[in-house]
Amino acid sequence: MHIKHLIPAAVLWVIITAVGELLVIANLYPTVGSLEADDFDWIFRFLLAIGVPVFAFVIAAIVYSMYAFRSAKGDEMGSTIRGNGWFPRIWLIVTGGLAAFVMVFPGLTGLQKLQSDRTAYGWGDTEADVVIHATGAQFNWTFTFADGTEVNIIKGKELVLPVHQKVRFNIDSVDVVHSLWIPAFRMKIDAIPGRTTYMTVEPTVKGSYAEDQSFRVQCAELCGLDHSVMNFPIRVVEKPEFDQWLASLKTGAK
Amino acid sequence: MAVAASAAHGHATHNPVRFNRLGLWLFFFSESILFGLLLTTRFFLEGIEREHVDQHLGLAITIILLLSSLTAFTAETAIEHNNQRVANWFLMATIVLGIIFAAGVGFEWKTAEFSRHEAFGSVFFTMTGIHAAHVVSGIGILFLVWIQLKRGKFNSKNHWPVSGSVMYWHFVDVVWVFFYPALYLVK
Amino acid sequence: MYAAKSVSGGIGLGLIGFYLGLGFIALLRWTLGYPEPWGGEINIIGGYIFGLIGWLMGVGMWGIWGREWFGQRTYPRKAPGWQRYFTFNTDHKVIGVQYTVTFIIVFLLAGALAMMMRLELANSGMQFLSHAQYNGTMSLHGTLMIAVAVAAVIGGIGNYAIPLLIGAEDMAFPRLNALTFWLVPPVAVALLSTPFLGGMETGWTAYPPLSVTTNSAQIMFDLGIITFGLTSILGGLNFLVTIMFMRAPGLSWGRLPIFVWAIFATSWIALLYTQGFAVALLLIALDRVAGMAFFNSTAGGDPLLYQHVFWFYSHPAVYIMVLPGFGMALEIIAHFSRKPLFAYRYAVGAFLGILGLSGVVWAHHMFTAGIPNYLHGPFLVATELISVPTGLVFLSALGTIWMGKLWLKTPMLFALAVIFNFGCGGVTGIFLADVPTDIHLQDTYFVVAHFHYTIVGGEIFGLFAGIYYYFPKITGRMYNETLGKLQFWWMFIAFNVTFFTMHLPGVQGMNRRIADYQSGLDTVNLIVSLSGLFLGASFILFVYNMINSWIRGPLAGDNPWQVRTLEWQVSSPPPLENFPTPPVVQGHPYDYGVPGSVHGVFPGQKLGGVPVVGGGGGQ
Ligand SMILES: [Cu+2]
Ligand SMILES: [Cu+2]
Repeated sequence: MHIKHLIPAAVLWVIITAVGELLVIANLYPTVGSLEADDFDWIFRFLLAIGVPVFAFVIAAIVYSMYAFRSAKGDEMGSTIRGNGWFPRIWLIVTGGLAAFVMVFPGLTGLQKLQSDRTAYGWGDTEADVVIHATGAQFNWTFTFADGTEVNIIKGKELVLPVHQKVRFNIDSVDVVHSLWIPAFRMKIDAIPGRTTYMTVEPTVKGSYAEDQSFRVQCAELCGLDHSVMNFPIRVVEKPEFDQWLASLKTGAK
Repeated sequence: MAVAASAAHGHATHNPVRFNRLGLWLFFFSESILFGLLLTTRFFLEGIEREHVDQHLGLAITIILLLSSLTAFTAETAIEHNNQRVANWFLMATIVLGIIFAAGVGFEWKTAEFSRHEAFGSVFFTMTGIHAAHVVSGIGILFLVWIQLKRGKFNSKNHWPVSGSVMYWHFVDVVWVFFYPALYLVK
Repeated sequence: MYAAKSVSGGIGLGLIGFYLGLGFIALLRWTLGYPEPWGGEINIIGGYIFGLIGWLMGVGMWGIWGREWFGQRTYPRKAPGWQRYFTFNTDHKVIGVQYTVTFIIVFLLAGALAMMMRLELANSGMQFLSHAQYNGTMSLHGTLMIAVAVAAVIGGIGNYAIPLLIGAEDMAFPRLNALTFWLVPPVAVALLSTPFLGGMETGWTAYPPLSVTTNSAQIMFDLGIITFGLTSILGGLNFLVTIMFMRAPGLSWGRLPIFVWAIFATSWIALLYTQGFAVALLLIALDRVAGMAFFNSTAGGDPLLYQHVFWFYSHPAVYIMVLPGFGMALEIIAHFSRKPLFAYRYAVGAFLGILGLSGVVWAHHMFTAGIPNYLHGPFLVATELISVPTGLVFLSALGTIWMGKLWLKTPMLFALAVIFNFGCGGVTGIFLADVPTDIHLQDTYFVVAHFHYTIVGGEIFGLFAGIYYYFPKITGRMYNETLGKLQFWWMFIAFNVTFFTMHLPGVQGMNRRIADYQSGLDTVNLIVSLSGLFLGASFILFVYNMINSWIRGPLAGDNPWQVRTLEWQVSSPPPLENFPTPPVVQGHPYDYGVPGSVHGVFPGQKLGGVPVVGGGGGQ
């Protein structure tokens, strides 16, 4: 009796899943600008690949039941299965297993990579090649390089980063909570008054805000009136060009 | 059978004091989270650091508040045994002790050596203030109950307002048992 | 005119109280020697508190309750007909309708604000709002909708249905129940006053230090929400005592309708966690008016303290919103599938499991907030764990419709949509629970899409299911089925197009709560805006159907859905105190098709052909 319904319902599930999995292949993402972005896109796709069949199962079960078990009047009674037997246990094992799976991979393993104290990656702790102190203020960003060179909306007007170098941002705020987010690098962390947060990125492609809007620092935490326009252009260039740019700012200052 | 008897009006089967008692306990659960979060705030911001506070005053008001719980308990026991005279006096004593406690907190506030514009001061004034607000509301409730008690409204069969307000008083007392060491004794 | 007397009394005394409070604080400040007696926000606080008390007493609480505190006789204001909806009425059915109608109005209002936001966001660049106006609109939309989500189902449907479902004549504390409703209008006034004080800037999350330094709209938000928290706590308390003590004889925990279980779990969450929001906002108010330093990092405070306390409530709050939606959906799905609720015990376990886990996952909102590294792992694990009990709700729903006889009336369609929508919201939740993906998606439109899927998709659809389901019981009349179904499909399709699409700008780099965005996101935002406006229009149909059917719909009869639970065994609408003869429960509420089974019986009456004897044991 179940089999008669199980097969077409399963077919429906497979079809919906197949259509949904197109999302995994589709390029939904902004430019992949850093190592971290590469990992994000990969993990996002992986979770989509797992998530689509789950949602598809719900859709298939509802759609098929609405079709096959519909009843025009309310006077017919359904079957009296109560679901006290083995089925809920199987369900628990499967959902629990799925939850445990994504918890460990990519959850905890990804976290491990992000927070490793042996790498300069994400929230990792090791020395980076370039260290930039970023300060959020309503509604501007200021970036200070290790040698004291400052970049802001008046001076420099854009943040230039060297490609294939590990760039660490040490972040704080002078007034309210902001958040430093670079969509092309898929990394963000809040700027909080009274403490210094940090994140490290390694740009992997050259690009600039003028051509690609995901190359920008964007404030991602509501900070008041002009929060929506609290962003700052980024340009990723080769290392020599970066050094040149930094030097030019210094001479400009004098 | 009991059901048939209560057919006309469901109310007959329900025991309102039982409802009230559970309701009050649930209210205490909820309030415990409030006070618990304030305690958490204290340790989150200050760790186990503490500014200088007047130890003698702190100890004195603590003893007074504990004493008031004892008098409140006596008052409740008295009315359960239909002894309205003792209940009357001890309820009054509770109110007086409560007022002394509140005044002690007020004095503490005036003489405090730290400012509310700094973290410890914020924590201290807020915790004692929120607690004192509960003490003051407790005094108000006890006072209303006391007036009715004097008018002879309560007896051994009907004394929920006395029991309820005394329960509330005990609860406010217990909160202080946690607040006092956190504010005065830590380190 | 009793109604006029109540409302004008409330407003009159409220205003008098407000000015008294302002003056009282001024006098106090003058006596204590402060330089400016009219110091500003502290006066507003005094005015609000006095005004609140004046309002409550004036609206009828004095006569029915307050007099008792001073040993005087109480007298209820007994208003006839429609007027009872405008008085301090203690009948849970009246209160349920008051809640439902009030929050539908708030919902439409907040929805109109969303329409303004979508018009502004239809294209990059500023269209017709300023930054300040957009932030105010966004914050008010969020705050009002949170209020709707927290109170509409539990306060509206819950108040109406719970005593009926458990065979009680009213709630355990009817006057407290009335109080929780009449605290709501002052909340609405406080929140709606914010645009006149400069508009809220902080969203409903009110993160400091911004919420400490921003304009005075913030203090009205604080006062309003603390009051609202009080209604939530007292309402939860009332439900708990009612459900624990007032079940009909024989209605054991194992026979409790699943919606009652949902409200039971929800009430615990509301009772315990709501204090977190109150504390968080209290500390903000103290920082503002007393110059305290809780969130001032230069004086030893810490902005992150707020986020912890705030999310300690506000994560469990999503279950205050969603569990009643789940309960409503499962309840309706079982009745309209004509089949026992599948895996009933597991569904109950799901609610209790969510209740247990809800308090230990809050920091998943703070993964990118600069919390210490060691916190990420445990909160990631706890958050993922919640998907297990949530999965059991799906088990129960899908198991129930399988091999049932689905009667696809409007309430059933909405109930199935709850499961459908939450399927999507649950899956996207995984992306936000896993830190490696959350790090990019946090604070983007992906989050906005996700929580609209869970809250609107999971709860507001459940609210509509409940309204359509109980409409014949509440009014005695039947709504127009064709219009109901039309509204469902309209709302369902528009909702899914809007919010499914909305995930995309989030991934592509559009952060939330912004008045303006990068021009590269124009197309996708236009699509979202258009279908969002289309979604908004669907509610006009709903309002028309409700009003029109209430006035001239056909009589519905006592049990138009042929449902077994107790509320459908009395007349529509039910009489005062609900059951002329108290019910006795003898079986499970969902045993459709089980030969000889009955749920409720009324001693002295005949029901379902089964002769009835008194008694029935238990409880
Ligand atoms: Cu910002
Ligand atoms: Cu959460």
